[in-house]
Amino acid sequence: MQTNQIRQSFYQRYREKFGHLPWYKRYEFLLPLSLFIILLGIFLPSGRPSNAIGWVLICTFIFIVLLWVVGVLTDVEKPRWLRAIAAFGLIFVFGFSFYRYSGARWDLFTKTFLNPSMMQGAWSELLLGLEMTLKLALVSMLISTVLGLIIAVLRSFKNPILEFFLIIYIDFFRAIPLIVLLVFVYYALPFLGIALDPYLAAILAVSLNYSAYVAEVFRSGIESIHRAQVEAARSLGLRSLQAMRLVILPQAVRVVVPPLTGLMVALLKDTALATIIGLPELLYKGIQTMIWKANPTPLVTVALIYLLVLLPLTRFSSYLERRSKKWVKSAR
Amino acid sequence: MGEERQVMIETIDLHKYFKDQHVLKGISVKIYKGEVVAIIGPSGAGKSTFLRCINRLEEPSSGKIYIEGVDITSPRVDMNKIRSEIGFVFQSYNLFPHLTAIENIKLAPVHVRKIPEKEAEQKGLELLKKVGLEDKAHAYPDQLSGGQQQRVAIARALAMQPHMIFFDEPTSALDPEMIREVLDVMQNLAAEGMTMLVVSHELGFIREAATRVLVLADGCVIEEGLPRQLFNNPQHPRTKEFLSKIL
Repeated sequence: MQTNQIRQSFYQRYREKFGHLPWYKRYEFLLPLSLFIILLGIFLPSGRPSNAIGWVLICTFIFIVLLWVVGVLTDVEKPRWLRAIAAFGLIFVFGFSFYRYSGARWDLFTKTFLNPSMMQGAWSELLLGLEMTLKLALVSMLISTVLGLIIAVLRSFKNPILEFFLIIYIDFFRAIPLIVLLVFVYYALPFLGIALDPYLAAILAVSLNYSAYVAEVFRSGIESIHRAQVEAARSLGLRSLQAMRLVILPQAVRVVVPPLTGLMVALLKDTALATIIGLPELLYKGIQTMIWKANPTPLVTVALIYLLVLLPLTRFSSYLERRSKKWVKSAR
Repeated sequence: MGEERQVMIETIDLHKYFKDQHVLKGISVKIYKGEVVAIIGPSGAGKSTFLRCINRLEEPSSGKIYIEGVDITSPRVDMNKIRSEIGFVFQSYNLFPHLTAIENIKLAPVHVRKIPEKEAEQKGLELLKKVGLEDKAHAYPDQLSGGQQQRVAIARALAMQPHMIFFDEPTSALDPEMIREVLDVMQNLAAEGMTMLVVSHELGFIREAATRVLVLADGCVIEEGLPRQLFNNPQHPRTKEFLSKIL
């Protein structure tokens, strides 16, 4: 009782004096810490350390910087410039540590990774690969979307036997890794007398795999539409397929488009797995030219091409998501 | 009134169970052409379930239902054909949010009745005029007030030129100042001789427009009669109790 009162009054006095800021957000803590960081920074080893003490020093340094950044960034009342320094400082410290201590030969960077002379004659190969990737992606998108939609509509009829088999289908193709499916279709099915060329095998595997995901997305979209909508449609004399086509699906599609776009982006990325069955798509061509030129520049180019194609798509999908949120809100 | 009137709806010993809950306990009623029958009763009495069973939005558990002489509990009956002759107005309007008012109205005539688009549009505009919303033809449901949405919903039901219309508490989701505009539309319909089955507690409307009142309690019809007679002189103690609460 006695000590409790004393403790309370101690905190009270402390708070009256310094406000309610916790210790790690206070300048009394952060300022000395900054000095300490600079001091420690001077004594950091300049290259990959040879002994354990060097590593301990580096880790301590990073830890202290983290503490400082947390102290600054968690307090919204700190000035903007300081918070900006904290954010950039964090990125800089990690980048710089990697640059300094990974032991990489940075002097070789541009010559190996960004060497234009190594792209001579490689462009046409890579573009052929891109064409194949896009062809595979588009055909698979079409098939998996149509198949997934059909499965979702069939499931909405709630026929227990049909639903049982559809759930098995969906669970199976969602659970099996795409790369396993690819290898199975291309290397194992020929033993049964079904020999597909890599292109068809890739389309089959990717479409089956993604149709299961698409079916789930469509199902959740259909189920998000209120039962009362079906009742209203049926009460007007519409048959159940008409109700689905004219009332449920048009509304479900708006809900479904953002997650569906996300799936399609993932599908486009996953086409790179077809490399393993020797389909000459973008990644395969990149690896081939890398071996031919004995230089990884073509592979870096491939990565950049993927980014160039996919970044706008991911932006587009998050734009759709924001827009659909607005739509859903206005429909309430 | 001695002449034989056409029976529009007849239910014989209608029962409905939800799992082990006995919601309708043997309802037998006859509803004649041109009647406006109000169904009142405490909540949970099975009023909505009764309406929904008659056009089989809910499957009745046992009993017979005849719509214009057709036994609709028989498995061979074309329920879509029957439903297209019965308008249904819901408590929560249930307009299609992705379609404009006029598109809501002409959807069923075009796709069920196979009426040409142009003609259906013409008819739809006439109906919108009838419910006082000719200027809202191209508004989406979320741009309309509750009362306006419910009037569009009534126009949508009328567009099928149904032989009868069911109203399931059409005004209970509405703000007080919007109730009047919906009731006016319903009153006009009643005056035109439409057969109507109305679950509602709008006593003013029932007094003015209803030709008969059924009182439902605990899944049974406990009393029926002319509105004035029933309101002024209820016989059954449960009716008295219920009326004393809402009058």
